[in-house]
Amino acid sequence: MRKIIVICLALLVLGMSTAMAAEDMTLNVMLPDFYSDSDWVTLEAGNPVLQAIYEATGVKLNVTWVPNSGYAEMTSLTMADPKNMPEVMVIQGPRDAITISSARAGAFWDLTDYIPQYEHLAQGQQSTYDNTSIDGRIYGIYRARAYARAGIYYRNDYAAKAGIEKVPANVDEFKALCMALAGLDNMYAINMCKYVTGTIGITTVMFGAPYQYGIDADGKVYPAFEDAKFQEGLDFLRDLYAAGGIDPNFMTIESGNWDDAERVDPPKALMRLDCLDNGYRYEEWLEANSGVDPEHPAVTLLTAIPNSEGKIQIWPQNTGASGEIVITKAVPESKLQAVLAFLDWCNTEEGQTLLNCGLQDKTYWIHEDGFRYTYPEGEMENSNQYDIYTRTVQHSLNQLGMNVNGDLTPPMAQNILRVQYNQNLIDNAQYVIANPCLTFDSETNTLMGATLNTDVEDAQVQYIAGKIDMNGLKAAYQDWYDMGGEMILAEYQAAYDASK
Amino acid sequence: MKRAERRALYGTGKAYWRKLGLDIVKNKWLYIMLIPGVLYFLVFKYLPMWGVIIAFEDYSPFLGPLKSAWKGIYWFQRFFATRKWQDYLSNTLILSFMNIILTFPAPIILALMLNEIRSLGFKKVTQTLLYVPHFISIVIVVSITYVIFGADGIIYKLTTRMLGHSIDYLGDPGVFRWMIVFQNIWKETGWGTIIFLAALTNVDTQLYEAAMIDGANRAQRLWHVTLPAIRSTIVLMLVLRMGSVLDTGYEHLILMSNSLNRSVSQTLDVFVYQNGIVNGQYSYTTAVGLMKSLVSVIMVVSANKVAHALGEEGLY
Repeated sequence: MRKIIVICLALLVLGMSTAMAAEDMTLNVMLPDFYSDSDWVTLEAGNPVLQAIYEATGVKLNVTWVPNSGYAEMTSLTMADPKNMPEVMVIQGPRDAITISSARAGAFWDLTDYIPQYEHLAQGQQSTYDNTSIDGRIYGIYRARAYARAGIYYRNDYAAKAGIEKVPANVDEFKALCMALAGLDNMYAINMCKYVTGTIGITTVMFGAPYQYGIDADGKVYPAFEDAKFQEGLDFLRDLYAAGGIDPNFMTIESGNWDDAERVDPPKALMRLDCLDNGYRYEEWLEANSGVDPEHPAVTLLTAIPNSEGKIQIWPQNTGASGEIVITKAVPESKLQAVLAFLDWCNTEEGQTLLNCGLQDKTYWIHEDGFRYTYPEGEMENSNQYDIYTRTVQHSLNQLGMNVNGDLTPPMAQNILRVQYNQNLIDNAQYVIANPCLTFDSETNTLMGATLNTDVEDAQVQYIAGKIDMNGLKAAYQDWYDMGGEMILAEYQAAYDASK
Repeated sequence: MKRAERRALYGTGKAYWRKLGLDIVKNKWLYIMLIPGVLYFLVFKYLPMWGVIIAFEDYSPFLGPLKSAWKGIYWFQRFFATRKWQDYLSNTLILSFMNIILTFPAPIILALMLNEIRSLGFKKVTQTLLYVPHFISIVIVVSITYVIFGADGIIYKLTTRMLGHSIDYLGDPGVFRWMIVFQNIWKETGWGTIIFLAALTNVDTQLYEAAMIDGANRAQRLWHVTLPAIRSTIVLMLVLRMGSVLDTGYEHLILMSNSLNRSVSQTLDVFVYQNGIVNGQYSYTTAVGLMKSLVSVIMVVSANKVAHALGEEGLY
């Protein structure tokens, strides 16, 4: 009996001493989940990636996964329950009404004065930090994304079938290409879906319109849809739709099914106006599934072409960031420095690699050519057994990555399109335009902007689909002014005048 | 019971309370059994109702209902100032009444038809099959609709061939409400028959025999015996339905809505969901929800009055 007691005591003392030595910290984080259909392994169940993070930092991550499609709702619901907030969470819309009001009510730690104290966080771009700031204070660490990602990609093999071999060099040639593609049997030119913001935005900005708001020669703020170039872009989409160049039911296709029309053989749609990452991913899919020769890509990336006046403009896919990571008030002040130190570590080479790629020889492999692959040397690329394991232990941990100091992960092998894409990011950053009113404060926009924009966008979709004419579109724009648009413009105008 | 009758039975003032006290002592076990039910309603139904106070505040979850700024009727004024409120309300009312008028009689008709089936085995199998759609999630129902009514769908292609022109089932605002009602009928009619079939089993068979001796044919028996027998059930169900007449539900409508039909698919429920849950404007949408509830209460009370006027028992 005595023996047992002694052993128990010994175990107890041992257990306590190891716990104290490691200086454990459990951190509750909420992240969007892109693989909600995969299993998830927690630290206790033996997740090697979380184990590696724990060994490097002493932080035990306790992740709450929220499916990406419902993340906005979950964010809003989380804010409604301050007592049970996660300690660290991703905010996808740093300038959404709910984020602004929560930040003002004191839901998040104000990080403005802390960021310069941390080696890696301080290396972020000040302008991007400012883009996500609220009332001039920074509440989150932005998640860096390249500016010049938006553009056009299309199937050049089908363009050749339609008689156009040359890559369009300006907007007029782009229009001609679309019309030629629309002439092919059983195929649509532009692949569109319910999410039309990108397609309309990329088209109109390429045609020469401002992004969301413009400022005219007299210094007056006006909404982008009033611009003649915007209307030109819209008219082009309407003409293309009328010519059979767009799926007549595009507005019922969920954005999750956007790929369906192109990832079939033969494709149903030949061009897409979107983030160009999807362009090289499409090419990689074609190489793996349709036997396209990697030396001769079937996909062409098209961006930064001059409009009829020779002006080049690119739609901003984002504000240099895809949301931000905030520290909520669920973290006591005594723990704040430790949490910030952990977020700082996430930006180190070790942190970036663990979050984005996982563990070498477990979820990624460095082949003889020196590049990073998702499968071991000599294995078939198409075998997805490695993907399944990676998703189980890694899930969407990359969502916690900020990379404010650039991408430090081991490089991946580059195909022709990836090289071109990366070069585009550098060459074309100068052409990306911004919303001039992005950082201005408008109470009305915070409250009603989202609803008003949906109404205007609905009218634009109806216009493209030929359901309403110019008068109907004008009526919808007038509604926008009457229901709050005028107040938004007045508030932006005041902020703009004050900023001069 | 009329107020005058109640007074005559229990008296007023002190006498009333004394009588009630005696009653409680006499039937104490009955009253003790009542306690859990009363507690349930107090804790889960009446207590949370104080939350509607946020409709009159600029509510912030971080300040709580006691410390948030008082706004009075500001949110109500704002809602009526948007001009769109008429659209939301009329969309809600039109859809609700279409739902009631078209979906309410369906289970009654179906129940009467089932009641006329002679073969018991066939009746049992049919009933079971009719219940199945109720257990299919609305998400699945909408997905099926998309598949068969979309541009590649069989019904879309069939009607295009037959009519010579295509009908945009998923986008046309004129078709939208019919699609919603049609889906509701498909999904809930079978399940709705349960209560009417139960009422039908209570009909005295001697009445049928008497009617037959008097020479009533099947249709006459249905009209003069069966329907009057289940009339009070029908009225009760209708009054209950009136209470939820404005609940159009949001998941069904959100799943079916798109840029083309938003002008008819935006109901009060969808508005509350999108602005309250997604955009986090709690006070504003609580005010809108409160108004909707007010209209619902008025509807139940007046439906009940109408039921009384028709000589039925109604709800209370």
